Amino acid sequence: MKNFFFSASIISALVFTSCSSDDSVNPDDNTVVPPATYTFKRGGESTVSFGGQTTRIKMAGELKSALMDFDNATENSLLAMYAHEAGNNDFSDSELNASDKSLRSKTAASKDYFSANASESTIIKATLEGFISSQVNEVFPNKMVVASPGVAGQVADGDKTRYVNQYGLEYNQAFAKSLLGALMTDQMLNHYLSYAILDEGSNRINNDNNITEEGKAYTTMEHKWDEAYGYLYGNSQDPTNPNLTIGEDDAFLNEYVGQVSKDPDFSSIATDIFDAFKLGRTAIAAKNYEVRDSQIAIIQKNVSKVIAVRGIFYLQNGKNKIENGNVQGAFHALSEAYGFVYSLRFTRNPETNTPLFTRSEVDALLAQLINPADNGFWGITPETLESISEAVAAKFDFTVAQAASI
Amino acid sequence: MKYLKLSTIVFSLALILASCSNSSDNPESADDNFDRGAMLANWADNIIIPAYTSFNAKAADLKTKTSEFSTNPTVEKLQELRNTWESAYVSFQHVSMFEIGKAEELRFRNRVNIYPTDTAQIEGFISTGEYNLDLPSTIDAQGFPALDYMINGLATNDYEIISFYTSHTNAEGYKNYVNTLASTISSLSAEVLTSWTAGYRDVFVSNTASSASGAVDKFTNAYIFYYEKSLRAGKIGIPAGVYSNGVLPEKVEAFYKEDISKKLLLESITATHNFFNGKKFDGNTNGPSFKTYLDYLNTIKNGENLSALIDGQFTVAHNKANELNPNFVEQIATDNTKMLQTFDELQRNVVLMKVDMVQALNISINYVDADGD
Repeated sequence: MKNFFFSASIISALVFTSCSSDDSVNPDDNTVVPPATYTFKRGGESTVSFGGQTTRIKMAGELKSALMDFDNATENSLLAMYAHEAGNNDFSDSELNASDKSLRSKTAASKDYFSANASESTIIKATLEGFISSQVNEVFPNKMVVASPGVAGQVADGDKTRYVNQYGLEYNQAFAKSLLGALMTDQMLNHYLSYAILDEGSNRINNDNNITEEGKAYTTMEHKWDEAYGYLYGNSQDPTNPNLTIGEDDAFLNEYVGQVSKDPDFSSIATDIFDAFKLGRTAIAAKNYEVRDSQIAIIQKNVSKVIAVRGIFYLQNGKNKIENGNVQGAFHALSEAYGFVYSLRFTRNPETNTPLFTRSEVDALLAQLINPADNGFWGITPETLESISEAVAAKFDFTVAQAASI
Repeated sequence: MKYLKLSTIVFSLALILASCSNSSDNPESADDNFDRGAMLANWADNIIIPAYTSFNAKAADLKTKTSEFSTNPTVEKLQELRNTWESAYVSFQHVSMFEIGKAEELRFRNRVNIYPTDTAQIEGFISTGEYNLDLPSTIDAQGFPALDYMINGLATNDYEIISFYTSHTNAEGYKNYVNTLASTISSLSAEVLTSWTAGYRDVFVSNTASSASGAVDKFTNAYIFYYEKSLRAGKIGIPAGVYSNGVLPEKVEAFYKEDISKKLLLESITATHNFFNGKKFDGNTNGPSFKTYLDYLNTIKNGENLSALIDGQFTVAHNKANELNPNFVEQIATDNTKMLQTFDELQRNVVLMKVDMVQALNISINYVDADGD
């Protein structure tokens, strides 16, 4: 089918080359001038599409909320939301129910990191499912119990109530922040922005010749790029100009790119990421793969940095609360930190094309964060939190103090 | 929660600006020999302990009157209970700011005055008879706001309210719950007062260190947190819609009583104002305080004494609040602008205290705005 389409497209491309090139590109050379917004067209038709990413962000949002639905959620209903199958009524949104997309199938599923690493991918999926099951089996039954060291239940955090496991961990936070890495970040940095995907098969030749996917206005390479884009901006109010509402459009990557950019030490990060997406996409339309690749590196570096900065921010936030005598008030921040540290496994160093933290490095940090001998967060010391923070910052070009400030 | 982030930015900017303009005005802070111990003693002996003592008596009275009402639920007893509840609620405005030590440990303010109260949760507790008010998730089903619902909000007239305690099929459940509410306030209050009189007073007064763990630093944080979050935002800002897309009249303090939200606000402004000036709880004389500390440091802002600016701003805010309708639900409905104007006057003292005062006293604010989730 594709071959047939391919030859048909070649012919039409030959015929229509002069009028089918991208609006924003000068067909005579490959200079790259990005448009003001993330708007790309071919023959007057938009070539931008990332519906599948928007769907998964929405699914993840519903699942995150449902983890706290003590009255209605069951282990089965939550696991079914995670591993959704088309037509099942797992969500409140009928469009999500009709979708054939699933969160589970894209967890730890990037081409670069996991296509030949099924064993770790399976472990990661099991970890996330474990958070879900434990929320129902450990925390739900203790909904009306005051938590104490070794006992799941409620803790007070100001005028909020947090529901934690025996070690003080909020599973819903651990799940959501781990998914942010294992799904959104992994798919973006290690799958759709991977050369193995962007340049797969005939993608370059087709892109060079404006050969679009069957029935679509975009080339495969353009679409892969947009799918990476969608994991950050897929739920934006205006996806063509998403930084207008950055931080407000989901509870995952979008939220934390927005949060980190509010720190004066990282104030340009949201702009840097968006500009790189925009310029890289323009470069694809201009067939300039050198510019494209340099933008990939910028995105990989900065999205990885967001995870580390936010992880350290929460580690330090928890440390300060413990130092002020508010141990239980620290649990929420430490639960967020747990997920961000977990997500470090999915970061990417563009110079080596490997994660900044290996599985065993991440596991070692997590083991310090939740040490059963100290009842986890109940007994963790400021010194341990400082040492974890320093270990994370050591792999980046910023300090713990820069990440800890707002 | 977006507004909080904005306020953080504004605050940070203000800090930067303040640090540029005030540095030369405040040369003494390097060798600050102000007698912090004397100030802490004035706070503890002349304000905090007397205020808790007064409140504790009213809380005990509330427990007694509640018991009398539930034994003999008449309209007359209901009126008596209401008067006692109001008197205790007013008295609470004088201790709500002291969230330190045992009060902090017990989450005293959150257990006594979180509103709006969760009537569905309350009705659920009454119908099952199973509840544990120590649970963090029950803070919006207890305290004065829950009592407000139980004695003012169950029905529109007194006879119908009484019927919940007489002819209702679960009248025992209502009686038990109203008694549990009153006795919980009383026992929490007693626990806090006892802590102060049985040792904490000395710990507090002797902790004169000028550091984040010193009593002055910790208490100042608690005081400004109260002023900013509970007084300014809770009593005025949130119901007036400062942080939302529309007004939220159902979030006023004493929603079911309807006509004392202004009274409670004025009392809390007076209490925080008096505390700033070090005014004795049971008298008219002033002792060592934030005011005298600032004067000792000779803190000047824009050519005026900072202490006089803050003192004056409390009066301005009180006068502005005094123009409001006794019932904030009506005030919001008829002219919310007056609510917003009151908010603005209260806000001016947030800046003067949270930026200028803490800088002069070399205290850092250790609370940060929450994440929103």
